[in-house]
Amino acid sequence: MELITENIGEITIVTLMEKELDAGNAKWFKSQMLSIVKKSKKIILDMNHVQFVDSSGCGVILSWLRTITSNGGDMKLVSVQKPVQALFELVRMHRIVEILEDREMAIRSFG
Amino acid sequence: MNPHRGKILIADDDPIIRIILKKLFGKTGFEVITAQNGKEAVDLISNEIRAVILDLEMPVMDGIECLQFIRKNVRDISPIMLTASEDFTSAVEAMRYGAFDYITKPFNPKQLIALVDKAIETDAQAKRLRRVEAELAKSRDQEIETASKIQQALLMGIPPKNFKGMEIANWTIPSQKVDGDFYDFITIDSQCLDVVVGDVMGKGIASALMGAALKSYFLRAIHELELSCAHDDMLPEPDAIVGRVQSAMIHQMEELETFVTLCYARFDLSRNQMRFVDCGHMRTIQYLKESQTCILLQGINMPIGFPETEPFTQFIAPFSKGDFFFFYSDGLTEAMDSHGHLFGEERLVKSVKACSGLSPNEIIKGVWADIVKFSGTETFRDDFTCVVVKIDPHDIPMLQPDVESRMTFSSDLKELSGIRQFIRNFCEPIPEELLCEARISMIELAVTEVVTNIIRHAYSGRSDAIVQVTASLFPDMFLIEFVDKGKSFNPEDVPHPNFDGSRDGGFGIYIVSQIMDDVVYSRDKDNTNYTKLKIFLKPSL
Repeated sequence: MELITENIGEITIVTLMEKELDAGNAKWFKSQMLSIVKKSKKIILDMNHVQFVDSSGCGVILSWLRTITSNGGDMKLVSVQKPVQALFELVRMHRIVEILEDREMAIRSFG
Repeated sequence: MNPHRGKILIADDDPIIRIILKKLFGKTGFEVITAQNGKEAVDLISNEIRAVILDLEMPVMDGIECLQFIRKNVRDISPIMLTASEDFTSAVEAMRYGAFDYITKPFNPKQLIALVDKAIETDAQAKRLRRVEAELAKSRDQEIETASKIQQALLMGIPPKNFKGMEIANWTIPSQKVDGDFYDFITIDSQCLDVVVGDVMGKGIASALMGAALKSYFLRAIHELELSCAHDDMLPEPDAIVGRVQSAMIHQMEELETFVTLCYARFDLSRNQMRFVDCGHMRTIQYLKESQTCILLQGINMPIGFPETEPFTQFIAPFSKGDFFFFYSDGLTEAMDSHGHLFGEERLVKSVKACSGLSPNEIIKGVWADIVKFSGTETFRDDFTCVVVKIDPHDIPMLQPDVESRMTFSSDLKELSGIRQFIRNFCEPIPEELLCEARISMIELAVTEVVTNIIRHAYSGRSDAIVQVTASLFPDMFLIEFVDKGKSFNPEDVPHPNFDGSRDGGFGIYIVSQIMDDVVYSRDKDNTNYTKLKIFLKPSL
């Protein structure tokens, strides 16, 4: 299981290298994000490799989003795959977290 | 002068007035009867008297009291009141009690004569009107009787006595007015029974006849369609049958400015499903024995007789042993209580559910009793029509799936990926048009949520227990069943999810209910939990 992080200025881009984010690896993902969130307030989560997310996966993303925004930062999602987008729409998550087409757009939107 | 104009009764305590009036009306052709007070007048009144003049102020019984007696007992006479000048209060009161008019003393004789003539003419007209009304009512009653005979003889079909696999009950109470309610049962073969339940707009003979015509058109449509598709050994489907009836009858119905709401249902025991075409009829109630719930079956078609409604859309309602279907007319839901409240669909569903353990006949009686209790009467404004079809809990064999696959796994969240792969592999041979890629992804999601729920809650996170999943494919349905031995689960205990991002969890059950066509949780006496997820593979509810 792997997360790749890159820094562009103040922004940290996190690429989830997993194909799936479900109850089986949600805890691991949650703990991995801890050190990143401590260091950065502007986070882009690249979902390009993720073909499947369940409600536990959603829960972790929502939980970190709350922490980050309460610290005055923001987290944006990019390259969300079709089946994952379908889930986000089902639980109305697309209204809570900003979802952008690719990382360039996300970087620009952070200004 | 010959008293050719009949009798007039004059009551006044003043003898002078009596003499004057007797002379006056005697000359105009009346036989005059006089009374000294109201009591005498009451004794003298009869149907032979054509006009009455009453003094308001009289001893023993006054004019008002006498007037009230006359109005109550001799319908066709409206008395004229005599009143002393400036006694308007009593005069106005007299008018309220049904006096024809009043005249003040001293009176002008010509005016009084004219008034009496007018009263007689008016009373005669009222009498004629009443007679005509009575005749009309009588002929209306005859029409109702005829219509009600047509209804009983022609509109209400008789269910087959021993259709193996189904138990059927039907009941009609015609209303005072006769609606166009009708129903019929058509045995297609040993596995298929068609039930038609309908309601022609309007009342009386016209709608009763239209209902009868429709019923025979259904038989004709089935026969013609059978002939035309005999070569490929296919039975005509409900949508084709209803479409044929619509096109055959549309012109007549437009001419008569009427339309028909109906539900055409085919009970197919070979596939354990009811296929139906609903054309704006009351929503049929299906009771599901397994989950002990009621669902309402609704179609999207316009009533028959509306132009351009073809083609008709047909829906599938899968059934299991012990389920039943409750068809009914608007007479049930539109029954009113004394405050004008309607019985309504919600109360009906509740009543049907409360009777669910009974036989079809007893279900109808139970619902009827609830409606009578609610409305406080046994006579309804509209026809009370219902048909109950119960799938026999003993007689039908359980449907065998075309393909079935089973997997057992440990209650470890690390297994989720493998379970999704199992579902994906199973779905692969199902044609894309029945189950598309996007839907398979959603099924994987629902399955993940169910298994996570079992591991986290039923097994409290233990990873050494066992969960079994079985995927079965039926002609029209994809069924996924999970079996576990953990703690019991009641989906009603789970709070509705928050969509504002304030909570991380609580979405699982919601997601499953949104994706699946039907979800059933049950637990048997050996403390085994069953979670059944159903996906219908054709246009479904």
